[in-house]
Amino acid sequence: MGALSIRNVKKSYGDTHILKGIDLEIDKGQFLILVGPSGCGKSTLLNMIAGLDDISSGEIAIADRVVNKLSPKDRDIAMVFQSYALYPNMSVKKNIAFGLEIRKVPKAEQEEIIARVAKTLQIEHLLDRKPSQLSGGQRQRVAMGRALARNPTLFLFDEPLSNLDAKLRVEMRTEIKLLHQRLGTTIVYVTHDQIEAMTLGDRIAVMKDGEVKQFGSPQEIYDTPANLYVAGFIGSPAMNFIPVQLGEEGGHAVVVLDNGSTPQSVRLGPISEAQRAFVGKQVILGVRPEQLTDPESAHSDRTNLQSLQATVAITEPTGPDTLVTVTLNGVKTVARCHPRAAGHPGQAVTLVLDPTKALLFDPASEKRLA
Amino acid sequence: MAELAYHQTTGAKVARYVIYAVLIAMVLFYLAPLFVMLSTSFKSLDEIRTGNLLSLPSSISFDAWRAAWSSACTGIECGGMAPYFSNSLKMMIPAVLISTLVGAFNGYILSMWRFKGSDTFFLLLLIGTFLPFQVIILPMAQVLGMLEIEDSTTRLILVHVIYGLQFTTLFFRNYYVTVPGELVSAARIDGAGFFRIFFKILLPISIPTIMVCLIWQTTQIWNDFLFGVIFSSGDGQPITVALNNLVNTSTGVKQYNVDMAAAIIAALPTLIVYAIGGKYFVRGLTAGAVKG
Amino acid sequence: MTAASQGAPGFSLSRFADTILPKLVIAPTVLACLIGFYAFIGWTAWLSFTESRLLPRYEWAGFVQYIELFGNDRWWTAMQNLAVFGGLFIFFGLLIGLVMAVLLDQKIRGEGAIRTIYLYPMALSFIVTGTAWKWILNPGLGVEKLLHDWGFTGVVFDWIINPDFAIYTVVIAGIWQSSGFVMALFLAGLRGVDDSIIKAAQMDGASLPTIYTRIIIPSLRPVFLSAFMILAHIAVKSFDLVMALTGGGPGFATDLPSIFMYQHGFTRGQLGLGAASAMMMLFTVAAVVMPFLYSELRRERRG
Repeated sequence: MGALSIRNVKKSYGDTHILKGIDLEIDKGQFLILVGPSGCGKSTLLNMIAGLDDISSGEIAIADRVVNKLSPKDRDIAMVFQSYALYPNMSVKKNIAFGLEIRKVPKAEQEEIIARVAKTLQIEHLLDRKPSQLSGGQRQRVAMGRALARNPTLFLFDEPLSNLDAKLRVEMRTEIKLLHQRLGTTIVYVTHDQIEAMTLGDRIAVMKDGEVKQFGSPQEIYDTPANLYVAGFIGSPAMNFIPVQLGEEGGHAVVVLDNGSTPQSVRLGPISEAQRAFVGKQVILGVRPEQLTDPESAHSDRTNLQSLQATVAITEPTGPDTLVTVTLNGVKTVARCHPRAAGHPGQAVTLVLDPTKALLFDPASEKRLA
Repeated sequence: MAELAYHQTTGAKVARYVIYAVLIAMVLFYLAPLFVMLSTSFKSLDEIRTGNLLSLPSSISFDAWRAAWSSACTGIECGGMAPYFSNSLKMMIPAVLISTLVGAFNGYILSMWRFKGSDTFFLLLLIGTFLPFQVIILPMAQVLGMLEIEDSTTRLILVHVIYGLQFTTLFFRNYYVTVPGELVSAARIDGAGFFRIFFKILLPISIPTIMVCLIWQTTQIWNDFLFGVIFSSGDGQPITVALNNLVNTSTGVKQYNVDMAAAIIAALPTLIVYAIGGKYFVRGLTAGAVKG
Repeated sequence: MTAASQGAPGFSLSRFADTILPKLVIAPTVLACLIGFYAFIGWTAWLSFTESRLLPRYEWAGFVQYIELFGNDRWWTAMQNLAVFGGLFIFFGLLIGLVMAVLLDQKIRGEGAIRTIYLYPMALSFIVTGTAWKWILNPGLGVEKLLHDWGFTGVVFDWIINPDFAIYTVVIAGIWQSSGFVMALFLAGLRGVDDSIIKAAQMDGASLPTIYTRIIIPSLRPVFLSAFMILAHIAVKSFDLVMALTGGGPGFATDLPSIFMYQHGFTRGQLGLGAASAMMMLFTVAAVVMPFLYSELRRERRG
C-alpha cells in the first residue's frame, strides 16, 4: 500500500531536462525528505506531486491512485509554502476555513475543525488577526493549521522553515516532528538543509541535477553514502576526502597518509571484492571529522584504532569540541577533537582514525567501493 | 556629522535661501495660468480690456460661467458646455470601468496563469503603449464605419477600451508579479478555481492598483482629444472637442471670460480626481511610464 | 508518456478549466491587441501604398504617397517644427525636472504641497492648457499688456502670432504641463538612491554638490532614459496642444506631423498621404523607442 509512488517521472522544458527519471516510493505515515542544492529539481518534483506543474512523462500515484491528470484540488493533498502564502485579506480563521468552505463542509463542522487545529498548534488567540499582524513563527503555524484542517492523505512542505531565524527554525523543526509522530500523517518535505533532512526524515532522497543520488534512511545515507556527492552533502562539517593509493595487507585495505614529513601506513577494514580491483590504484578515502579524533576522545572499546601524527594548521573551537585542521596527502583534513587535546597551530598532534568507518570511493565514477 | 557641517556654514545658509527662492518662483510659474484663468472667468469683457492678466476682478461676476455652461456657442450649436460635459461622463464611466476590470483579469492571467506565448503577448501589448495613435486611426475609422456604429458615445467607449487595455493590463500585471505565486498555488490546493482566486484573494489586495488604474484611465479618457475629434460627431462630441470649438470659433466678439470658464469646467473633473487621489495619480504616471 | 496517458483517470473538468479558462478570458484582449494595433498598422501601411483620396482604394500604387510626402514643403515644415519643438521640449523638460527634483530633495519644508502644485498641470487636458496659454500669450491683452502696464512699454511679445516664434509658445506650454511630471520621476529616482552610498561619499569628504554631480545624478541614468522616452513620445504625438494653442498657425508655422496627418487623413480627403505620414510618425517613434525597449528587455531577461 504505497502512500506515494513516483515512477520514472521526468520534466523537461524543450531541451532543458529538469528531472531525469525519478523513482520514489513511500508508505503511509512515512516522512519523506527531498533534499539537495537549489536547482536540483526538488521543488519542481513537489509541485508535480501537488499538481501545480505538469508531468512531462512518468506517473505519480497518491494512495495508489494515479493523479497525473488531476487538478490540485482533486488530489487530496495539502501544502505548506516557503512564503506561507497566507491570504492577506483574510483573518487567520478565514484562512483555515477557506479550503473547507470551498469543499462545502458544514458550518458547524468547520468550527469544530478550526477549534481542534487551533488547539493543536496553539494559535487559538490568533484566530481573529490578519496575517500581517503575525510574527514569522506564528504565520508558519497558521500555514500548517490551514494544511492540517483539511486532513488530507498527503502533506507537502516546501522549505517551510527557511524564512525563520535560526532559533525558531530549530523549535519549529521539533514541533513538526512531534506533529508527525502524533498524527501519523504522510509527509513529503523539501529542504536544502541537510540537518533538517537528517533530523526530520524517515526516508531521504538526496537530489542533484534532476536525479536522485541516493534514497534511503537517514542513517544509511550518513553511514554508507552511495557516492562522493551524497557523502559530501550530508554531514557537518563535511566529510574529508583524501586521495590515497590503495594497498592490501593480510586481507585488509591499506592506505598511506603523508602529513608532510612522514608517510604513515594506515590499516583499514577487511578488503572487499570491489575494493580489491582498485589495489595499486588511486582512490579517495572518505573520513568524517568525528571519526578522526584525539586518542582520549576515541571510543575505548575499539581495538584496532589507527593512530597517526600530524601538524595542526588551524583550530576552530565550537564549544563541546574543537575542529582541528591538519594536512594529509596534501589536502586539508578536519578532525574533531576534545578542546584540551586540540593543540595550537604548528604543534604536532596524535590523531586516531576509526578504520571500520572509513569509506573508499572510485575517483572516476565517484561511487563508493562497497 | 558631515551633513551637519553643510548646514552650519553661511554659504550653506545662503544656498538654502536661493533654493527656496527658486522653488517658490516655480510654484508661481505653475500656479499663474490657473490664477489667470480663474480671475479672467470672473471679469466682465470691459474689465478684461482695461485691466491686465494679473489684475483681480473688481467684482465677482458669474455671467461668464453661466454662459459657458449653458449658452456659449461651439460652432453652430449654442448650448454651452453642459451637453458635452454629460457626453464625456457617459463615455468615460463605462470605458474606465470596463478597461479596468478587463485589465485586472489580463494582469492576473499574465502573471499567475502564464501559458505558452503569454510573455510574447505581453511584449506585444507593451509595444502598443509606445505607438502613436495616428497609425491606427485611419483603419479604426473605416472599421467603425463598416460596423455601422453611429452613436458617438458607443464609438468612443469602444476605442477607449481597446487602446486603454495596454495600460490597465500593465498596471495590474506589474502589481501581480510582486504577489507571490504561492498564494495562487495555495488557493488552488485549497480547491479554489480561476475566478474564485481572482475575486476572493487577488482583487481584495489590489485596491491601490485599482485606484491607480481608475485615476489614470479617468484622466486619459476625459482629457482625450484625438479620438474625440475623429470618432465623434455633432452633438455627441466630448467636452475637449467642444472646448476647442468654442475657443476657436471665429464668429462674433471673442469672449475670453467665457473661454476661461469653459476651460475650467472642462478641467474640473480631472482636477478634482487629482486633488482626491493625487498619490495614486503620481504612482500611475510613474508606473505607466517607467513600468515596474 | 504512454504510461501517463494510460494510467490516468478520465477527463477532469477542473484541470481542463485551469488550462482553458485563462486563455478564454484573455482572448478578447489578444484579439483587440492584434487587430487594433498590428493589423491596423498593416492596414495603414497598405493605404500608404495606394492612391486613396477621399475613400480608401486598395490597388497597389507603390511609393507615390511617399514621393509626394517628401516633396511636400508643409511636411518638411512639420518635421522641422517637430525637431525644434521636440528638442527644446525634451531638453528643458529634463533640465527643469532634474533641477526641481534635486532642490526638492533638500529636506524642504512644505515639500508635499510644492510637489502637488508642480504636478497638477499633468492632470489637465492639453486642450485646457492650450486654451489657457493662448489667452496668456494673447498679444493685445496678455503678457504683453501686463509688461506694458508694468512700465516696459516698448516690449513686443507677440510670439503666438509671429510665424518665426510661434513654435516656441508651444514649447513653453508643453514644458509648463510636463516638467512637473519629469520632476516626480527624478524625485522618485533620487529617493531610491542607496543612502549608504551617500554616507560613504561624505566619509570620503565629498561636498554635497560633488555628491550630486559625481554620484547621484549619474546613477539616475535609467530615470533619464525613461523620462527622455516619455517626453519624446509626447512630442511626437503632440496634437491637442497645438490644435488648441495655435491651430497649427500662423499659416503652417506650428504645423506638426500629427496635425499634418489629421488634416490630410480626415479633413482634406488625402487618405493615402495621411497614411504615409502616419507611417513616418511610427518610424520616428520607433527610432526613439527601440533602443530603449531593447535595453529594457535585456534588463528584464537578466533580472
